[in-house]
Amino acid sequence: MLSVKNLVVDIDGSPILRHISLEVAAGELVCLVGRNGAGKSTTFRTIMGQRRPVSGSITLEGRDLTQLYPFAIARLGVGFAPEESEVFGDLSVADNILLPTWTRQTSRSVDEREALAYRVFPRLERYRTRGGQQLSGGERKMVSIARALALDPKLLLLDEPTEGLSPAIVPSIVEGIASILQLGHAVLIAESNMHHVPDFADRLYVIERGEMVYAGKPNAVPKSLSAPNGPDGE
Amino acid sequence: MRGATAMIVAAGVVALGLVPVLAPPFYANLLIPFFGYAIALLGFNLLFGYTGLLSFGHAMFLGLGAYGAAVMAGENGIKSFEVVLLGVALAGALVALPIGLLCVRFIGIFFGMLTLAFGMLTHAILFKFYHLTGGDSGMRVPRMNILGLEFQAYNKIELLAGPFYYYCLGLLVLCGLVMWRIVHSPFGLHLRALSNNAQKAEYLGVRVYQFRLAAFVISAIYGAIGGAILGFRIGLADPEIVHWTHSGHLVFMTVLGGFSSFLGPIAGALALTLLQDQLQSITPYWRFILGAVLAAVVIFLPRGLAGIAGTGAALAKRRAAA
Repeated sequence: MLSVKNLVVDIDGSPILRHISLEVAAGELVCLVGRNGAGKSTTFRTIMGQRRPVSGSITLEGRDLTQLYPFAIARLGVGFAPEESEVFGDLSVADNILLPTWTRQTSRSVDEREALAYRVFPRLERYRTRGGQQLSGGERKMVSIARALALDPKLLLLDEPTEGLSPAIVPSIVEGIASILQLGHAVLIAESNMHHVPDFADRLYVIERGEMVYAGKPNAVPKSLSAPNGPDGE
Repeated sequence: MRGATAMIVAAGVVALGLVPVLAPPFYANLLIPFFGYAIALLGFNLLFGYTGLLSFGHAMFLGLGAYGAAVMAGENGIKSFEVVLLGVALAGALVALPIGLLCVRFIGIFFGMLTLAFGMLTHAILFKFYHLTGGDSGMRVPRMNILGLEFQAYNKIELLAGPFYYYCLGLLVLCGLVMWRIVHSPFGLHLRALSNNAQKAEYLGVRVYQFRLAAFVISAIYGAIGGAILGFRIGLADPEIVHWTHSGHLVFMTVLGGFSSFLGPIAGALALTLLQDQLQSITPYWRFILGAVLAAVVIFLPRGLAGIAGTGAALAKRRAAA
């Protein structure tokens, strides 16, 4: 479904991503693991069209994404919940989730897509009328993911979905991701901690200083990359 | 429309409807500019309050409405005010489209400066091209028919304080209802989202640039309609209507009323119209006092007059619940 090949991205002349390649097949959960600054967010933002690559290709079901604007990529079916997970503060939770149902038409109805978003994160039902600014960090993260899910995407990009959250809320997010997979969506997650990678991940990539250093099964990651302090083992 | 808002609107319409009956014609005449500004500000606030784009040149669209009325009615003999309104609305959209194509690529101070530049350019054209625009003398806006009626038995003051007053009130209600539908539609929700965070909105498939452009064009249409009312009232379109200080006047009214509320700019237009009239009758230094009022509003009432009403309503609700 998503195919990234030999992606090279520079920011202000500095090389950030060097010949990155990764694949996400339909219905798969794939994790991209790397320390802060390794290039995970840049990879996601380049997939979303915010950054133009110097070279390489990004295709979704064979269609080139590198020349498209972010809104066009979203409309093709790529949902993105960024790391900062800022919700629209002036909008209610219900409006936050409703918004993407108007921007992309799919076989699922608006009501169905809204219902799915709330089914994945049942806690949000209680906060429907609450303003975006009145939510905790974990709730904002849930709204951010539910909102991207309401786009009814073929592929969902989640940038550090559990970063900075209380350990009590992390299981809710992981359960939500498992529900999203059951709905048939492919998911690509960026994680800075190897130990936060969900057990049910199909494939794992490790990125270090803009280069891919591992691609394979999660249970076959070399020990030097899976040390507690991150893939660098520092 | 929500219950409380509908009640405020109904009470406001009734109160305004009683002005020509209960007050001397002077006051009804005084409120005609209020209607023009209120309609223009409905559009201005779609751009500022809902889309997050603060224009410092919006008076150019009011000028377009006034000069459009002068050209259509004065130069081409079109006597129907409705046809003139449609004409200036169309002209507003056509002029706003190319200007908006350039301006909405930018946000913040850059958008503000670009719109200011276009406003000053328009002022210079109107001021310098004497043979086309009448220069500083402006262009005459003749009396027109409203709803096909000439009202020949009425002199200008009687017309303004009677039929034209109610016509403007009706037009404000109609424009207000249309704007209410706009801001509460999916389109309005998209504008609020991109005003909050354009990048995130784009990640959700929102065409940020097109939505900003659409808001700019709609606001220009409202501005042109408001300008035609102002031109009709004074019977003249002159370059001062597009001067940058007049754009500042629009910003003042919006901030005074509260740009985070639908009715705020209308309240601001009413308050400033009445305040300015009273101050002008009291002191020649009325601009000084208006400046102090604006400073006080920004410091103590950042949500404007509508913010006071909102806080009062919230307190009453809390007391009722206790």
